[in-house]
Amino acid sequence: MVAHGRQCKIEGSQATARQTAELLRSVISQQRVPYTNQAGALIDAVKAVGEQLIAANPVELAVGNIVRRVLHIIREEDLSLTTAAIGELNLSAVSDDENDDDRDGNTTLSAAAVAAAARSTLRPPSLQTLLEDTPVSAAVPQTSSSGAADKSSRSRKLKHDVIEAVNELIQDIVTCHEQIAEQAVEHIHQNEVILTLGSSRTVSEFLFAAKEKKRSFRVFVAEGAPRYQGHLLAKELVARGLQTTLITDSAVFAMISRVNMVIVGAHAVMANGGVIAPVGMNLVALAAQKHAVPFVVLAGSHKLCPLYPHNPEVLLNELRSPSELLDFGEFSDCMDFGSGSGSPLLHVVNPAFDYVPPKLVSLFITDAGGHNPSYMYRLIADYYSADDLVVQRRAIAGN
Amino acid sequence: MQFDDQGRVNKSKKRAVFNQPEAKNRVELFRHLPQYEHGSQLTDLESKFLELDSMHPAVYKVGVQYLAGDVTGGNARCIAMLRAFQEVINDYSTPPGKTLVRDLTAKISSYVSFLIECRPLSMSMGNAIRFQKSRIAKLPLTLSETEAKAALCNDIDRFINEKIILADKVIVRHAATKVRDGDVLLTYGSSCVVEMILLYAHELGKQFRVVVVDSRPKHEGQALLRRLLAKGLSCTYTHINAVSYIMHEVTRVFLGASSVLSNGTTYSRVGTACVAMVAHAFRVPVLICCEAYKFHERVQLDSICSNELGDSNDIARVPGRPDVNSMDNRTNEKNLQFLNLMYDATPSEYVSMIITDYGMIPPTSVPVIVREYRREYLLI
Repeated sequence: MVAHGRQCKIEGSQATARQTAELLRSVISQQRVPYTNQAGALIDAVKAVGEQLIAANPVELAVGNIVRRVLHIIREEDLSLTTAAIGELNLSAVSDDENDDDRDGNTTLSAAAVAAAARSTLRPPSLQTLLEDTPVSAAVPQTSSSGAADKSSRSRKLKHDVIEAVNELIQDIVTCHEQIAEQAVEHIHQNEVILTLGSSRTVSEFLFAAKEKKRSFRVFVAEGAPRYQGHLLAKELVARGLQTTLITDSAVFAMISRVNMVIVGAHAVMANGGVIAPVGMNLVALAAQKHAVPFVVLAGSHKLCPLYPHNPEVLLNELRSPSELLDFGEFSDCMDFGSGSGSPLLHVVNPAFDYVPPKLVSLFITDAGGHNPSYMYRLIADYYSADDLVVQRRAIAGN
Repeated sequence: MQFDDQGRVNKSKKRAVFNQPEAKNRVELFRHLPQYEHGSQLTDLESKFLELDSMHPAVYKVGVQYLAGDVTGGNARCIAMLRAFQEVINDYSTPPGKTLVRDLTAKISSYVSFLIECRPLSMSMGNAIRFQKSRIAKLPLTLSETEAKAALCNDIDRFINEKIILADKVIVRHAATKVRDGDVLLTYGSSCVVEMILLYAHELGKQFRVVVVDSRPKHEGQALLRRLLAKGLSCTYTHINAVSYIMHEVTRVFLGASSVLSNGTTYSRVGTACVAMVAHAFRVPVLICCEAYKFHERVQLDSICSNELGDSNDIARVPGRPDVNSMDNRTNEKNLQFLNLMYDATPSEYVSMIITDYGMIPPTSVPVIVREYRREYLLI
């Protein structure tokens, strides 16, 4: 999959996210976990694979998102199992009072386990926990052999739980379009005029859902040069019986005064509510703001990235081939090294993505409902752990 | 302009010189504007060449050039039309029983409606025609026919010289003062005045870079790019969607205009408004370069009430992309329409300054020039 990522063969965040999740699931199921600290081993394994995947295609943020989601799942499952185990141990310590000498080993185990569990709960980090190593990699002291049966069943249970949760994640990724499309009826009324740019499967499913519910509306599709995906979207919409008009990107400002709503898809949503979208989207967002037209962004939750964008036009962008803009054959005479310093006179710029700042976005519609751009950072706490922002294996002392 | 009125449409069809089938899938918002099927117009007009004895060959030639798209740009179209009218006047002889003034005016009007059929008039052409008609009307009655014809041809020469050629030189001189060393200048599409400014500033030895922004369907920027590269300017080429990406490098934006209206709105090639809006968002000054003869006392709030619709096939077909072109046979589908706007209206708050032959003015001073100086040139 790394090779595929490098060649950018997999297109589309959803497909990439799904492949990443399935790959990580197979990594987890094949990973042999030791009896001690099984969560740490899983996390290390996932981080190792995740580092390679992210490095292969840094612009495709969905890969990093899924890696971090899986890491968060592992931590959560481990936490819930540990708290469940503490609950059992506490009960067993209290219930049997006669055989105190038998219980000694277990009470020490329970004290140590309680201490470890206290460290690993997701409380805000205190100085103590910050100075230690990460709580999950702290070894839970295993003293008594009577707990051996407990531990092996617990390790199998952890893997099992994690794989179940990853399956749910894959299911969510696959069905995100339906969940977003269900909300279409709340936002589109009769005789609306909707503008969109380029092509996004989420947007087309959204519009089809509104059409199914017998809302009549018209769509202006901007063609989205230089990929011209707008043509494909217009074909799909017409096939479903929607009134569609195809316009050039330069006509967006001219037409937007007669538009009620702008609905677009996104490539990624950043933690500050900013959007990485196909090139040309910033133009549409600015025009929509000038004419007070709501700008609605549809995004599945696998597109939500916990990073804040710093200089996104350069760092999160990809420049494509100039041949999409200029025909090399026609312009071959201009591509000579003409000026005295030997550098070429002609540069061609063809960025693939555009950054839309959060103040231009009116609403995000995700599979978890509709949100303001200022709310997106809270969703991150649900899906990601703070320890996983940098997906790199920490160097272990003595290795 | 009232194309949704069926009575007027039928009347104009009776007077029409050649057949123009109306486009089948018309966008509802633009029903008040003419839209034709462009495939057969040129061949139809060419086949009628020998039948049109009332049409002067020079005017016919200009009409064909407009229809084929060989002559584009406000200044070029205006000059071509005026030169054709000069030939008409030179070859003109008053028929017996008619006055020169009335007959010549009627002839010019019929030629103008032929040119409108080929392609709707630009504002510059409209102003030039009004000037022409007023000169004919003001001819003193004591002049003989040859003297009158000579006077009219002289007037046309002076108009072209003063209002277009010299005006361009003045604009170029003013604008070159706004170009500093190390500047990155952005321009959109292809405007002859902006091209002259860039070449002149380059000759003066200023060090700057040019960004040429282009868009579908005409890709007019490519011709400009070629000419600039031939003269040795360092250029960057991009398409209009990437203008937000490139705008943080840009220091000035120079744009041409087809006309500037009395409420300060700039009426120019579609896409200019987008470029001006993004420049405004990035706090880059926008300078419009426009000769004063293109100013008009009309006002317009948006791009829809008055515009020109081009060939919808240009939108449907993307040259060099066969995967997208399977749309081509869909132009007859009932639900699908293609909209090819030619012009748009840029609001005045996006424009920092307008450079004209009367100097460098803010957009709010345009109605002042229209009112104060319009009388002056009518009295040439």
